Amino acid sequence: MKRFQKVLRRERIIKLISVLAVLALGATILLAVENMLLSFVLAFVISYLLGPFANRLERAGFSRSVAVLVPFCVTGLLILLGTIIMVPMVSAQFGHLKAEVPKYIEGITKLMSETEEYVNVLFQSFYRVDFSSTVEAKLSGWAGTIFGDLPQIIGRMFTVSLLAPLFAYFMLKDGQKFMRSLLNLVPNNLFELALNLQHQINIQLGGFIRARLLEAAIVGAVVWVGLAIISFPYAALLGVFAAVTNLIPYVGPFIGAVPTYLVAFINGDSGLQLMLITIIYAVSQLIDIVFIIPLVVAKIVNLHPVTVILAIIIGSEVMGVLGMIISIPITSILKLTVNTVYNHLVNQ
Amino acid sequence: MVNFIWEDIIKSKEKETQIGSVLKENFLFAELSKKELRFIEKIVHVRKYRPGETIFRQGEIGVGMYIIIHGIVDIFQERQAPEAEDVERVLITTLHEGTFFGELSLVEDNGKRSATACAKEEAVLVGFFKPDLLEVLDRNPVMGVKITFRLAEILGQRLRATTEKVSQLRNHIQNNGEAGSSAGGK
Repeated sequence: MKRFQKVLRRERIIKLISVLAVLALGATILLAVENMLLSFVLAFVISYLLGPFANRLERAGFSRSVAVLVPFCVTGLLILLGTIIMVPMVSAQFGHLKAEVPKYIEGITKLMSETEEYVNVLFQSFYRVDFSSTVEAKLSGWAGTIFGDLPQIIGRMFTVSLLAPLFAYFMLKDGQKFMRSLLNLVPNNLFELALNLQHQINIQLGGFIRARLLEAAIVGAVVWVGLAIISFPYAALLGVFAAVTNLIPYVGPFIGAVPTYLVAFINGDSGLQLMLITIIYAVSQLIDIVFIIPLVVAKIVNLHPVTVILAIIIGSEVMGVLGMIISIPITSILKLTVNTVYNHLVNQ
Repeated sequence: MVNFIWEDIIKSKEKETQIGSVLKENFLFAELSKKELRFIEKIVHVRKYRPGETIFRQGEIGVGMYIIIHGIVDIFQERQAPEAEDVERVLITTLHEGTFFGELSLVEDNGKRSATACAKEEAVLVGFFKPDLLEVLDRNPVMGVKITFRLAEILGQRLRATTEKVSQLRNHIQNNGEAGSSAGGK
């Protein structure tokens, strides 16, 4: 029996190392290969969005391959149609924005120097600020980089838009098979824990992604429609920007509103126009706070606000905007893992 | 040492046939068609255990049930006697090929295992867990309902057997009490 125990321990260690090696290899590929992390995150999002449709088709009697393929084809067609309709509108707004960038940079600099003057008058000789010249140089450089790097950004987006659906298709079709193979390597003493953890993470991540996308889509649509109604320039671009930044908790909605206010200030919009803009953003956030967060998001992620802010700061330091967006699901997964492992090991 | 990786690849076909026939004979999956059984075969987890290896421990959060494909499994109740350092193990039952255990975890939410299961000899088990049952219910509800009904039937049978045992024990205690009091009266 002692010999068996020795063999058992060795087998468990080998299996555990195998699982950890597979996970470490996967993480290395994701972080080291260009576009891989973004493609993978997007693939996760797509697979969690289309998964319920695939399951519904499978329930209707279709094979798994067909049930997965049909939502992909339908979504692809919808995106194609949407692109055909949207591209002229967005590219026209983008072209217009490109032409007007010098004007906006000048406007922002003017705004800065006015603020600088005001601050200097306020503090008299105690403290002198000088940021308008630095800001102008930074903004010009930044705008030049954005428009200069545009072909590269579009190329990257093209690669990601090809890889992400491909990954998502195989995640939906063979994801369970892959997970089962990985679980096969888990030693017996940790198997039920690993299975339970994987199941709970899957449920939490799926719910979180669907809820956040619903939030972003509603906020984006309200901003877009609202700005379009008051004939504000770049309504579509600002709506998309508000939707994307809304994915960042707490600070996202404020970041999303900044370009709109800048455009309004530079164009010298009236006080009424500024009030209408405030109402539009407030309504979009009210819908989010009153309906979507309590009904959908709060039930899924149970994190303390301080934890959320810390996670966002760490995420932005490590991976920039993408880090800010994925920091919350990663933190909630870590919390879930610690709780489950603790319950398994200690609470017996 | 068993080479778990290569053995899995070489013997996979043979193992599938064996698993299929065991699943078909199992009470829980007895009503399923051949196509449905093939679906279940792809979902379940095959696990191998060394002699003396613990399958699950009393007090752990249970995730699902196991069916014995090959080998013998002992079920123990663990008791911590007051003032004793070691945990006392009491053998409750020994299970053989084709039988299953731990099915209560399929319906409980974070329920804890009421006993410890250990492989008595080299054993191959098929694990069917709560996430698997939920996946079946989501992807093929008709099959899911068939399994759930069978599961309810098993749990009902277990409840009836427990109730009978409790009433037997009560009668036994009552008879002993009456015998004791009549003996005391004499």
